[in-house]
Amino acid sequence: MDSLITAAARALATGDPLGALKRVALRGDAPALALRGIAMAQLGELVRAKALLRSAARAFGPKETLARARCVVAEAEIALVSRDLGFAPKALDAARVALESHGDRVNAAHARHLEVRRLLLIGRLDDAEHALAGLDPALLPPALRAAHELVVAGIAMRRLRTRVARAALERASRAARQANIPALKVEVETAALALDTPAARLIARGEERLLRLEDVEALLASKALVVDACRYVVRYARNVVPLATRPVLFALARALGEAWPSDVPRSTLLAQAFRARHADESHRARLRVEIGRLRTALKSLADVSATERGFALAPRVAHDVVVLAWPVDEEHAAVLAFLADGESWSSSALALALGASQRTVQRALDQLAAEGKVQSYGRGRARRWMARPLPGFTTTLLLPGPLPSD
Amino acid sequence: MKRSSADIIREYGPFPGVDRINGVTFDGQQVWFASGDKLNALDPAEGKVLRSIEVASHAGTAFDGRHLFQIAEDRIHKIDPKTGRVLATIPAPGGGGDSGLAWAEGTLWVGQHRGRKIHQIDPDTGAILRTIESDRVVTGVTWVDDELWHGTWEGDESDVRRIDPQSGEVLERIEMPEGTGVSGLESDGGDRFFCGGGGSGKIRAVRRPKRTAARK
Repeated sequence: MDSLITAAARALATGDPLGALKRVALRGDAPALALRGIAMAQLGELVRAKALLRSAARAFGPKETLARARCVVAEAEIALVSRDLGFAPKALDAARVALESHGDRVNAAHARHLEVRRLLLIGRLDDAEHALAGLDPALLPPALRAAHELVVAGIAMRRLRTRVARAALERASRAARQANIPALKVEVETAALALDTPAARLIARGEERLLRLEDVEALLASKALVVDACRYVVRYARNVVPLATRPVLFALARALGEAWPSDVPRSTLLAQAFRARHADESHRARLRVEIGRLRTALKSLADVSATERGFALAPRVAHDVVVLAWPVDEEHAAVLAFLADGESWSSSALALALGASQRTVQRALDQLAAEGKVQSYGRGRARRWMARPLPGFTTTLLLPGPLPSD
Repeated sequence: MKRSSADIIREYGPFPGVDRINGVTFDGQQVWFASGDKLNALDPAEGKVLRSIEVASHAGTAFDGRHLFQIAEDRIHKIDPKTGRVLATIPAPGGGGDSGLAWAEGTLWVGQHRGRKIHQIDPDTGAILRTIESDRVVTGVTWVDDELWHGTWEGDESDVRRIDPQSGEVLERIEMPEGTGVSGLESDGGDRFFCGGGGSGKIRAVRRPKRTAARK
């Protein structure tokens, strides 16, 4: 490295991006472009940072493989943090291979992480888990180890494995303290907070109480038949009946679940499932049809038996019937129910699944996004929606070290 | 052109608190090396750092028999090695793209890293007296006897090479092992070169090839 590059890299390393910029602001050679890119990224100028890193990668010579690969990794990280998933995974993978073959294991591991975080972000949990398995966090410096544990926690929380998530978050917290990066510490604390805030509401035998993620996990492992209004499914142990695309059936199941072990009068069912104020004969006929369909759908889990005034749920094996709902009744619960699967959805797919118009779905998404309950990435037709952020999405940039070849 | 593989006689460091070696020089007894915010005096026999001077040190280092010269940002500082005081400052010819510094016969020789050049400058004014073009990135310059040597380091490839001070023609190359870079170069006046090892934080003593009868 030359003199000003060394001085600028030192400034960057001590958390002084402006000092770094000052030294190389007017230079257009490859290491200067790379340093300017990293400094801009640290200052939050992500668009400019990406452009600079891209030109740096082009400007490094054919022998400066490492420097070029580090630029690609930095650019990929910026893309990820700005939720721009248009970044080609192939370029990142090639950079990772180059870093590995040149013995830069730390940055190679960082590249792999970015890939895992991208998979988690777009809701490919299996792939994320698979890619994560090839990483040994012991080899990583503290900041990257904290990011690693956040990803582990993120996957575990989506999979409702709270003990795994809690252990990972504890390790993340230790690593973040060691790394001593304030933003990273805050991210770990926020993630840990998510474990302790109410994740759902339990309605059983006319009573309600809030549940943490841990309690939800325990409930789903219990002997209760759960009418899950967070995901629009009815489940008993591993047996899950999805009703997300059948809102009327789900509304009936929920009404029956909330009343259990009592029955529900026909008029109540009609009001709740069809929003019918005055029930006439055609409504009654339709109720009979829908109850018949629900009976078929729930066949393996419960019977829907007729009573004198209406219907009642009769679980086959379960000892108990409970309803699981959002902590507060959500106006857009149905949209959230689809997003609760952790996958990413396009608004058109949601509209299709909900049987609603795109415009309605879009309005719901916009409102939920404004309340911080959902997040999106991508633009235009490629835009995808997911449930609220979970750990694994650090917005702290942990960019690769000084970029020039030595 | 003669070619050989580097015979690394000894490795020093890495030293506590030193992330990188930016420049090296030799005052006849001690090896001085630049580590960013310090100039450190190393006893090459013991392998220990004897003392340090607090001074910005981002690239090449040189010694004129009395003073140390040190590139910092886009300047060259003339430093009293006893007190550590900066006695004078001249602009660096590469405007901060400088890497490598040597003293010879009353003038300073400055490597310009990616500019692939070596400038001979007036140590009082910084005025460029002449410029030699190289075909490689320059990362260290030294004179020994009548020979001008400089280090190169591009990606995985690094060497120490002797060039014709008039034409810039490469006369001899000592190739460093893969992944071993040269940042900063100084001869001890005898059969050793001291090579800064960049981000490895090491300094390596490399044997200078013996002169055969026919000398250029």
